[in-house]
Amino acid sequence: MSPGRLLYRGGIIAAYVLMLAPVAALVAISFFRDEIVSFPPSGFTLHWYANGFARSEFMSGFIVSAKVAVLACLIGVPAGTAAALGIARSNLPFKGAFTTFMLSPLIVPGIVAGTALYLTFLMAQNRLDMDITGTLGGLVAAHVLLAIPWTVRVVTASLQGLDGAVEEAAANLGARPWQVFWRVTLPMLRPGIVAAVMFSFIQSFENLELTLLLVGPGMSTLPIEMINYLEFRMDPTLAAVATVQVVLIAALMLITDRFVKLSRVV
Amino acid sequence: MAALVLPAGLLVLLLLGAPMALMARYSFNTYDPLYLMQEAFTWANYTKAVTDEFYRDILFTTLWVSLLSTFITTLLAFGPAYWLARMESSWKSKLTILTLFPLLVGGVVRSAGYIALLGNEGAINAALRGLGLISHPIAMLYTPFAVVVGIVGVVLPYMVLTLAAVIEGIPRQAEEAAANLGARPSTVFFRVLLPLSLPGVLAGATLVFILCMNAYATPVLLGGPKFHMMAPAVYDQFTRVSNWPFGAALAFILLVVTILMTSIGSLLIGRRARPA
Repeated sequence: MSPGRLLYRGGIIAAYVLMLAPVAALVAISFFRDEIVSFPPSGFTLHWYANGFARSEFMSGFIVSAKVAVLACLIGVPAGTAAALGIARSNLPFKGAFTTFMLSPLIVPGIVAGTALYLTFLMAQNRLDMDITGTLGGLVAAHVLLAIPWTVRVVTASLQGLDGAVEEAAANLGARPWQVFWRVTLPMLRPGIVAAVMFSFIQSFENLELTLLLVGPGMSTLPIEMINYLEFRMDPTLAAVATVQVVLIAALMLITDRFVKLSRVV
Repeated sequence: MAALVLPAGLLVLLLLGAPMALMARYSFNTYDPLYLMQEAFTWANYTKAVTDEFYRDILFTTLWVSLLSTFITTLLAFGPAYWLARMESSWKSKLTILTLFPLLVGGVVRSAGYIALLGNEGAINAALRGLGLISHPIAMLYTPFAVVVGIVGVVLPYMVLTLAAVIEGIPRQAEEAAANLGARPSTVFFRVLLPLSLPGVLAGATLVFILCMNAYATPVLLGGPKFHMMAPAVYDQFTRVSNWPFGAALAFILLVVTILMTSIGSLLIGRRARPA
């Protein structure tokens, strides 16, 4: 093999090892018997999974993360889909600027946007005399900022591959505008919307930076509970919790892939 | 139809636009340890952030870690991206999912994985000791090295997928023509493939650079207590010291430096990437 070829193959292997090894290591450690992680383990056990479920901070973090992700999707995906349709199918001026604006939450660093939201919530709290930071509503509001740009991006991409003539044909054949939308446009957009839901859900579920300042006692997300735990120790219990998250996300990806080929949306 | 833009537009305006404006205003206020934030209009927070040695060092650390990580990520991504882009079998969609998977698993989980790999009792040290290559563990965790490895690992899938999308759009015939005309594989890469994939390099590097500048979990978990980057520094201003004006100024400096660097990058690469 020529040195160039060797470099090419070696590079591919190195890249995939670098990407996948940490996940593989965590899954392996979650079955190790010893509480203090060491290689090789003295035996294997499922005990740490029970331990992870029994720890209230992980359990409540998991539930909060799931709730926030579902609610953020319910608000952000319809709003984002509508915006993508509006941008693509209307004669709006400054279309490029609108798209950039909708995608801007992806460009502003999460920690910056999170800080700005935190200050805004505190100000609103004082004026309105109600809690916003540390509430489910506050977290959902923040995570809508993740769902909108991901939806606009994915749905816009799938709109570009659609033939507008089909909608015109339906209209010519006497379908009313809402019938065109419900019976033609929406079914054609389904793969894009499914992908948008998956990306929005996962981006919300695993988000750390945007969320850091907005959590409160009893209202904290799984990634934040995990990083708090990790600052003290890394043990098989954490690995078990992480493995549950990994399996959940893998399952979501495989289900989504049945509706829409993920290799075509990314 | 145009009205469809309104709900999402208003939400982004309300949840991002207005908060950014408020934070901008706060960054010109002053801080008093006793009375916390005081209304004012001063550049003092910005001056402090760039003149105070501690914070200047944090900014420089963040910049060099981000630049180095972006560079290594770009180099490492070319092989897998090309492989993925030119694959024709049914494995292609499976490999795409496999590349996307670590990306979606989340930064905290993967940082935890790097702790398990790089620690003194971690997998790598255990393997090296098992092979008899070392007698004492090599200190890798809580070093800048660990942070760069962790960041590169976290952002690499983005780069691979972005580059693969662009390489897929480059006709295979362009490479074949160059090869038929006698170009060696390395010449094909440097004279044909690399110039044609520069838009992908630019898009990927911009995204990756933003993620690096913004990194929170990786420096906190893999860098140890003495290693400081911007995102954790901003967070600390709000949680440890409650110095809102200075924290707001730090956040804006992070944003402006990020935008400035990505603009310089697109000017440098973009000029060459433009089709002749």
